[in-house]
Amino acid sequence: MTANEKLVLALPKGRILKELAPLLSGAGIEPEAAFNDDSARQLRFATNHPNLEIVRVRSFDVATFVAFGAAHFGVAGNDVLMEFDYPELYAPVDLNIGYCRLSVAAPKELLAEEDPARWSHIRVATKYPEITRRHFAARGVQAECIKLNGAMELAPNLGLCKRIVDLVSSGATLKANGLVEVEEIATITSRLIVNRAALKTRPGEMNGWIERFSDVADAA
Amino acid sequence: MRHFVRTAFREDCTNLHGDRMNTLGDKALLPAGLQDILPPVAAHEAGVVERLIGAFEGWGYERVKPPLLEFEDALLSGTGQAVAQQTFRLMDPVSHRMLGLRADMTPQVVRIAGTRLRNAPRPLRLCYGGQVLQVKGSQLRPERQFGQVGAELIGASQERADAEVVLLAARALEAVGVQGLSVDLNLPPLVGALAKDLGFDDLQSSQLREALDRKDAASVAQLAGDRSEPFLALLRAAGPADEALKKLESLRLPSAADIELSRLKRVVGLIRAEAADVALTLDPVEHRGFEYQTGISFVVFARNVRGELGRGGRYDAEIEDGSTESCTGFTLFMDTVLRSLPKPAAVRRLFTPIGADSTRVASLQSEGWNIIGALDEAEDPHAEAERLLCSHVLNGDAIELVRAILDTEEE
Repeated sequence: MTANEKLVLALPKGRILKELAPLLSGAGIEPEAAFNDDSARQLRFATNHPNLEIVRVRSFDVATFVAFGAAHFGVAGNDVLMEFDYPELYAPVDLNIGYCRLSVAAPKELLAEEDPARWSHIRVATKYPEITRRHFAARGVQAECIKLNGAMELAPNLGLCKRIVDLVSSGATLKANGLVEVEEIATITSRLIVNRAALKTRPGEMNGWIERFSDVADAA
Repeated sequence: MRHFVRTAFREDCTNLHGDRMNTLGDKALLPAGLQDILPPVAAHEAGVVERLIGAFEGWGYERVKPPLLEFEDALLSGTGQAVAQQTFRLMDPVSHRMLGLRADMTPQVVRIAGTRLRNAPRPLRLCYGGQVLQVKGSQLRPERQFGQVGAELIGASQERADAEVVLLAARALEAVGVQGLSVDLNLPPLVGALAKDLGFDDLQSSQLREALDRKDAASVAQLAGDRSEPFLALLRAAGPADEALKKLESLRLPSAADIELSRLKRVVGLIRAEAADVALTLDPVEHRGFEYQTGISFVVFARNVRGELGRGGRYDAEIEDGSTESCTGFTLFMDTVLRSLPKPAAVRRLFTPIGADSTRVASLQSEGWNIIGALDEAEDPHAEAERLLCSHVLNGDAIELVRAILDTEEE
């Protein structure tokens, strides 16, 4: 346990990573070359800071790594934060990237024939069972969630259920599958997240990084 | 016949997956969040608890021992409301009243102080240690049963009392060997007072608190609009105590908030005067888990340790006649405390063959040896000692290192 022990930054694979690149360089973080190589099997990457290491994991896992303190800070969408609601996480900076909506969608024809006021129970396919349950419970409806990890749009068409809760950005996928967006549960952006104990026990370093990221996010 | 019974048994134990159910598994499986603590961890935990309590007693805190079960309405009143959702309940077949199994010992100690010890002189210093049971573990702390060790300073509204409990927690944890300790000082009522002063209603105020608990500056700005600056300033002030105090000094806050902050500043001074080396951070907006706190509160962390080692702070306790007295105190969570400690030193186990001199054995035991006495004549005492995980063998008057260990050391 030395003062200069490594900090670990957890970043999500895929879509967000490209949008994140200018923010990282703005905050003065330059990952080693292999980081930008999608075919690399490497999971941990050195940076230009000898005390800072990056790990690349699935977006849902970023929150878990940081909540458990396996990574000290990371980048995660507030969809993931809302789903897990870890008390050990702080989300101090809205990075203003990865914009999309978390929405309820259903087949067009369903809307005409249904009266939501009469619902006591509905079935929903989603990657976000917690958010979905909370959202419908707030209006007195019990939501039975079928957890899927992708291709949510298929579920209504194949009769798995009538509704889905999923991320929507352009709405093209919904449209292609005959679904319409019924309501928006939340606007989603990526946040800088920080492990609570790390912020408390290494306040100098962690506050430094939070400030850097918030400066870049404000400037963008 | 015998064969038949066996086959039937076997069929019975075959589950849907075609695996034979393991009867050992059935016996060994415990409910989620509960576990058997084995050697040497069980002894280590008990030892650490005693040393923590010893440290509290050294500063005048006297031990109390409340029961496991209490009447639900008493257990869950006052500060006990915070753990109502986490409390197991059962019906008392004797009184036909609902009982609660303690999920937190603090409300019990407060009850003792306000009832049976109501005539004891104030300030009253009490400490306790025991197991609690909670309905649900979290993903980060799956344990549903864990040990709590704590101290309460009852009927003491002084700033020195605030400082005393912080110092007591830090000193006791350092005394048992926790490294990289860090105390985060908080002012849970501050945000609510500020929100009220700025004209926010209760709902807005609780939404603001939620956003502040996540340090979500964007949501705070959105929720509070053009009145968000004081909240954002408090958010930015969080950090190492001395820097934070400087930042807070330059803020212009309503008088209620200002009084709280200047008290906090003096308490930091009192702590620093006694223990300059304790790492102190200050976070004026932290509120989660402090729903019943009325003043200066704190959470103890250790570097590289997941979660909180303990938490505490100022609260109001009801006395029997309906009035209240101001108290402060803290609870340490033994699961996290143990995680923050280095592995315990191995105990010295000495194998003594039959016929060993009992006076000699007694004196070795008083020197700290754990004696493992032979129950049978051992042909090869060294082999027998090794089998029973002893490090040493008593041979006549001499203590010999077990041969196997000696061999590996020579290699």
